[in-house]
Amino acid sequence: MIQHILHINHVSKHFGGNVAVSDISFSVDEKQIFGLIGPNGAGKTTLFNCISGFYPVTSGDIIFDNKAINSLRPDEVCHLGMARTWQRVKPLGSLTVLENVMVGAFAITNATREAEEIAIEQLGSVGLIDYAQKAAGSLSIGLKKKLELARVLATRPKMLLLDEICGGLNHTETETILGIIRDVRNKGATIVFIEHDMKAVTAICDWIVVLNSGEKLAEGRPEEITRNPEVIAAYLGGGYNA
Amino acid sequence: MKQIILIAIIAGIAAVLPLVTGESPYFTGVMISVLMMAALSSAWNILGGYAGQYSFGHAAYFGAGAYTTMILITQFNLNPLLSMAAGIIIACLIALITGSIVFRLRGHYFGLASIAVAEIVRLSALNFEFTGGAQGILLSEVSLWGLDLNSKNPFYYGMLLVLVVTLGITLYLRTSKTGFYLQAIREDQDAAASLGINLSFYKNKALLISASLTSLLGSLYAVYIRFIDTSAVLDLRLSIEIILTAIIGGVGTLWGPVLGAVLLVPLAEVLRSNVIGDALVKQGLVSETSGLGIFLKENLAHAHVLVYGIITVVCILYLPKGILGLFRRVK
Repeated sequence: MIQHILHINHVSKHFGGNVAVSDISFSVDEKQIFGLIGPNGAGKTTLFNCISGFYPVTSGDIIFDNKAINSLRPDEVCHLGMARTWQRVKPLGSLTVLENVMVGAFAITNATREAEEIAIEQLGSVGLIDYAQKAAGSLSIGLKKKLELARVLATRPKMLLLDEICGGLNHTETETILGIIRDVRNKGATIVFIEHDMKAVTAICDWIVVLNSGEKLAEGRPEEITRNPEVIAAYLGGGYNA
Repeated sequence: MKQIILIAIIAGIAAVLPLVTGESPYFTGVMISVLMMAALSSAWNILGGYAGQYSFGHAAYFGAGAYTTMILITQFNLNPLLSMAAGIIIACLIALITGSIVFRLRGHYFGLASIAVAEIVRLSALNFEFTGGAQGILLSEVSLWGLDLNSKNPFYYGMLLVLVVTLGITLYLRTSKTGFYLQAIREDQDAAASLGINLSFYKNKALLISASLTSLLGSLYAVYIRFIDTSAVLDLRLSIEIILTAIIGGVGTLWGPVLGAVLLVPLAEVLRSNVIGDALVKQGLVSETSGLGIFLKENLAHAHVLVYGIITVVCILYLPKGILGLFRRVK
């Protein structure tokens, strides 16, 4: 039987009178690669911020691993096994690449040496080991995204929230990142993936939810989504009737 | 490991220094000031340099230690060491109240609130009776283990001990989970939180460590000087001097605050005691009665704050990582 690891239950998020996310519900299965897509301003990142504890929800419930997490702080959410990356990468600039990943590893150990071992292993798995002693702030954007991935993976999450992890990357870099993500899933983690580039998403996702203007527009398997006229209209504008 | 040896070597040199220079109360006095400022600035650096939370009101903790110790010794005849421990408790209470309220907020709120708290503490001490109000507190007699507390040597070694402890704690923090977490908080609070770091817990932890050490130094200073009032131990100027020492030496480094104190305290001493003006007059370069001579005599003594200011501006413009940054390889 397939287990749901994340339930989004009628979640809304208002900023004053501004409705950023409106009554969204969906479930994510364990070990799924789940895509959350939609045009700019659809509410994807807002929803991510709600799930990861950075924004309190206005109404609705978020259930992760059978626990309600609506009122938890981001660090508590992380300790339950959910880790996120940031659309605009947030390297700890003056720390080295190794130290960045060690900060992630300290979520599961108190010992510095063990954190270092985990970090080195993780840097190896994303191909950043040669940069271990470089200052994180000095990396190129592609390497910063890899670092971001290595750092959250070092927390050994059950579920990964990736916010446009491929944004701004070239084709080769995107392929590398997607390869790493597949590996992580094959080792048993669940992935929720925000993208607005449809191509990257359809290539890797098992299931997709499309948001538009804060509402759920459609959900289904990638091949269904790419043929859905409403989704096409949302991406290309209402005037197109192909 | 290298750093532990370096701390040991420098502490060793500092420990034998009074034996080499002989009994010069003036020199020992200046050295006590250097050690105290180095320790104060290092303690501030744990919170400001590593966790990135700039406190502009560390005088509050220094004063809390000084006042608690003086009150307990003069009015309750308590053992000086116990009084110092009590000072730490009071400082921690102030820190905990401030931190638990203000660390929920991001940005400059902690800095602003730290000034406000320090002013509240200062004004309270100025207006309450048990703190001696504007007259302050005088300590005429004190004894501990038969030490000669009229001599400066016990305080020299006391300050040195606290400095070594502070550097030891800093060194330990740098290589431990807490130290990594503090630096993560300094670099990016959102990233830190998303990696499982409880922001207010770790900020409070850094503040408590920093406040405890600062309070201990305040207690030591009070027993050393034997007279305190608000302008001596609770003034905003003291808070600023602590920060400037760290900034000029190198914020967020182990040795920066020590270097800052070694350079700035003697410099301030030289300016304050008008050594430069006197030397120029003695050499016959400037006549004591000439306009320049009078100007030097009148004003140079008060110029150390001005010189601090100029050095700070130069440091911010050209040495954003402090003087220590000059010697560090850029990664």
